[in-house]
Amino acid sequence: MPKRTDIHSVLIIGAGPIIIGQACEFDYSGTQACKALKEEGYRVVLVNSNPATIMTDPEFADRTYIEPITPECLEKVIVRELEEMKRLDAKGKLVLLPTLGGQTALNTAMALFRGGALERHGVEMIGANARAIERGEDRQVFKDLMMSIGLDVPVSGTAHSLEECRAVAEKIGRFPLIIRPAFTLGGTGGGIAYNRDEFDEIAKRGLELSPVSEVLIEESLLGWKEFEMEVMRDRMDNCVIICSIENFDPMGVHTGDSITVAPIQTLTDKEYQIMRDASFAVIRAVGVETGGSNIQFAVNPDNGRMVIIEMNPRVSRSSALASKATGFPIAKIAAKLAVGYCLDEIPNDITRETPASFEPTIDYVVTKVPRFAFEKFPQADPTLNTQMKSVGEAMAIGRTFKESLQKALRSLETGRFGLGGDGRPWRIGDKVYADRDILPRDIISRKLSVPNAERVFFIRHALRAGFTVEEIFQLTKIDRWFLAQIKEIVDFEEVLARSRAS
Amino acid sequence: MNPELLAKAKSLGFSDQQIACLTGRKEEEVRALRKQYGLAPSYRLVDTCAAEFEAYTPYYYSSYDRGDDEVRSSDKRKVMILGGGPNRIGQGIEFDYCCVHAAFALKEDGFETLMVNSNPETVSTDYDTSDRLYFEPLTLEDVLNIYEREKCWGAIAQFGGQTPLNLALGLQKNGVNIIGTSPQDIEIAEDRKLFAAMLRKLAIPQPPNGIATSEAEALAVAKELGYPVLVRPSFVLGGRAMQIVYSDSDLQRYMRFAVEASPERPVLVDQFLEDATEVDVDCIADVGGCSRPGQGQIVIGALLEHIEFAGVHSGDAAMVLPPHTLSPKVVQVIRDYTHAMARELNVLGLMNVQYAVKGETVYVLEVNPRASRTVPFVSKAIGIPLAKLAAKVMAGRSLAELGFTKEVWPKNWAVKESVFPFNRFHGQDILLSPEMRSTGEVMGLDAELGIAYAKSQMAAGGPLPLSGRVFMSVSDAHKEDLVEIARQFAQLGFELIATSGTAAALENAGLKVERVFKLSAGRPNSLDLLKNREIQLVINTPTGQTPRADEVKIRTTAVYTNTPIMTTISGAKAALLGITALRNSGYGVKTLQEYHY
Repeated sequence: MPKRTDIHSVLIIGAGPIIIGQACEFDYSGTQACKALKEEGYRVVLVNSNPATIMTDPEFADRTYIEPITPECLEKVIVRELEEMKRLDAKGKLVLLPTLGGQTALNTAMALFRGGALERHGVEMIGANARAIERGEDRQVFKDLMMSIGLDVPVSGTAHSLEECRAVAEKIGRFPLIIRPAFTLGGTGGGIAYNRDEFDEIAKRGLELSPVSEVLIEESLLGWKEFEMEVMRDRMDNCVIICSIENFDPMGVHTGDSITVAPIQTLTDKEYQIMRDASFAVIRAVGVETGGSNIQFAVNPDNGRMVIIEMNPRVSRSSALASKATGFPIAKIAAKLAVGYCLDEIPNDITRETPASFEPTIDYVVTKVPRFAFEKFPQADPTLNTQMKSVGEAMAIGRTFKESLQKALRSLETGRFGLGGDGRPWRIGDKVYADRDILPRDIISRKLSVPNAERVFFIRHALRAGFTVEEIFQLTKIDRWFLAQIKEIVDFEEVLARSRAS
Repeated sequence: MNPELLAKAKSLGFSDQQIACLTGRKEEEVRALRKQYGLAPSYRLVDTCAAEFEAYTPYYYSSYDRGDDEVRSSDKRKVMILGGGPNRIGQGIEFDYCCVHAAFALKEDGFETLMVNSNPETVSTDYDTSDRLYFEPLTLEDVLNIYEREKCWGAIAQFGGQTPLNLALGLQKNGVNIIGTSPQDIEIAEDRKLFAAMLRKLAIPQPPNGIATSEAEALAVAKELGYPVLVRPSFVLGGRAMQIVYSDSDLQRYMRFAVEASPERPVLVDQFLEDATEVDVDCIADVGGCSRPGQGQIVIGALLEHIEFAGVHSGDAAMVLPPHTLSPKVVQVIRDYTHAMARELNVLGLMNVQYAVKGETVYVLEVNPRASRTVPFVSKAIGIPLAKLAAKVMAGRSLAELGFTKEVWPKNWAVKESVFPFNRFHGQDILLSPEMRSTGEVMGLDAELGIAYAKSQMAAGGPLPLSGRVFMSVSDAHKEDLVEIARQFAQLGFELIATSGTAAALENAGLKVERVFKLSAGRPNSLDLLKNREIQLVINTPTGQTPRADEVKIRTTAVYTNTPIMTTISGAKAALLGITALRNSGYGVKTLQEYHY
């Protein structure tokens, strides 16, 4: 289907300031969207309060508002732009594209919708409709929907007060429990509770931080394998998987804080196909008519049970990674789908002869490693959990997982040149060990069992200290395949070290 | 070492650095050995189709799998732009912005641009930002491999923040043409001794300072300078481990636990200028591209006045552009110093200077002859793309040719506010310090200063309240200043709440104050009121150098309850200005295009 001709101007909301969980990936997506829509001849109106972005450079949009991203401010922009369009004698409508500016843009758009401003001014939302956003973001509604289409979800319940929270916990029946506040960014205010005291504390905080005072309490899937799928759909119901991503760190660590690998490495093709089918079923059921979504899955390593964790009905942090990992420009295509094109009508810039409806195929391995900044927050707890704490990430591409992992680790700007063996010391608390020292077993065990920023390096320490892959698996629940790959690196480190003597 | 062993190591992703350490060689030796064996990475395409169709966008990664190299040849003059690597505190999107501009600018000028970066979240790693994209680590080894493979004409290391700058000297040593201000001149600005010598020559004052390689020396230096002193290790990034120290015991603690001082790595001790105003200057110069001294131009992009007192990291401070309290004389002195230093350092491209102004005296704190964090903000405030112009200047154009020869003094106010991740790090005190902790920034633009400030607060997620209750608890030193602020809040109809000490000071001045218990004295206390959302604004300045546990609780609770909080008197004054302006006239919205074109 051709592009819509009833649209004159498109209002894009940016993501605002860089915060943990919402970094410059949304400058990337917003810039792509501005370019794509201008290319199609639409007048682009942009609102973003972050001056450090490329998208707020005056040439990327026709109208650039560096103004606060609040519903009140956005409404002022809408009123002003409608007047301006009248002055220009514009033939066509003003529409709002809220799916490219992260959670901030989505929440602000939803506030405009709920407050009646969009209806009042006759502004249509494109890219995702309000009902689909609600279905994707309201955790209980989403879970009910998943069960109605025959997909499995973790046992859970939502609550709006501490009493309700306790009742849900009672129903699930055992600790640990995961607490996730509704409508917060990067899981702010969420956490894992191992006992009643912790549960009360996290639940209270979650209720306070959720703009709708709602939290979801879930059975723990700690130790399960975690996967993500980047899906796109057009208005003729064509669906494609852009990229599959596997989390190296199992469930319990926020994906933003986890090492992730694309494509998925440890599923059989059959398992992958089941997940692919499920992804399409999810995006259809939620009703994201055009654009991209990110869907997260967990798989129990003992019995293969697969559950759906959540979906983001918008361009997300993972979309940026998936775009860079595959070369497929998700944000650009999402913008074009939003104005009416279908996947088969959009050419792929890279190949020029294939359309965007071809699923990308990759013949290499991509590894993303998070970058932390705990040294800046010495009073805070450096344990990784379901609340994202990393401030950035590095990605590397190699022909094997081993090559891409080592490249990613030396990209981190932490002074290391790979997994180890680079002559740099290891600081653990107040102690300093030389690069090739064998670390005490108790420290290694602790650093493996409690997720932390340096865990991948402790896998090396563990292997060098004589831990078996099986022992490390029991402590970390990191898939044995990854551990075996790391073992190859560590074994070869010894080969190189021995060559020194000869 | 035999070729097979080396090839196997490379295919497992081992860096030259690792191989060197493990086999008892130097990194250069491993590189030489690789070259001798003809072992270079092959560059492969990211093409969405596993090589099934031809790919037209040159997006590459390296591998040692000994497959075919897919780099296309080209005769154009190539410039490599080194990106900033992963985001971290102190190195964020601002540098990606600068790199993207460099790519656009040089493309316009007919160069073929190569981007090297490892950060997937960026615009710089979009395949259509540069002519060729290399998704690779920013290390000497990886960058040299690309430079040599592509036979580049030059490389830009001044736009990606500290990451590429750290590589500049090593790259130059290996034959890379680093364009722009020379790495040697950059070294003068970064080396403490060379820098001090330059300032002496130019008769530009810097705060009295000394160095210490031990605890005893540090104490002696501090005694000579007088407390408070600003201490920091000589090798730092982003103000890491920088502190303001007020006493011998604090200094001892710092020397024992915060740094490792040694003769090779001394600790720098500067006199701390209390209550000084800090000013950031971004300028652009083409002096370094001229053959004779005295030629070339230096143009100031902007002076940014910090709202918080000097000592707050410039990446964390709120700033106002143009300056609103500096005298014309001070502004002129700043201008003169900036010009003198840019000329002395043969700057070719961008330079950032940080000044502290105490009374009418201007001190230089730091000079960075490279793109700074504030470049994008300044570019948008004045309507001139500084990074783009700088890239063209670095590649040979003059400012006169580019038509940028006059300093712009904007007609509107632009306020930069920082955004912090404290809600992620429970228990962490939120006081601003020389240690940078913000992750991002916002801009408030308006014809009126108060509104611009109010917008910056709205955009940062802590909108100023227009009415309600203000809770005040400040140190003795600030009680006098607070009285006037409190009086104005009362006149605007706000109710004042305070704990006993602050309340007494306000009552003595004739103000009506509602008293609230200190945390240990009874209930309900200020925390209860905060949690019940009965306080709309907090003004809390630290009482001592080691903050009391009570204060930390108040500040962190304000963060969790999303209550706006001001931890400095200057911040409180700015808030007052903003609230007054909002109540008088409300605010409107306007596009950048309308502001500038």
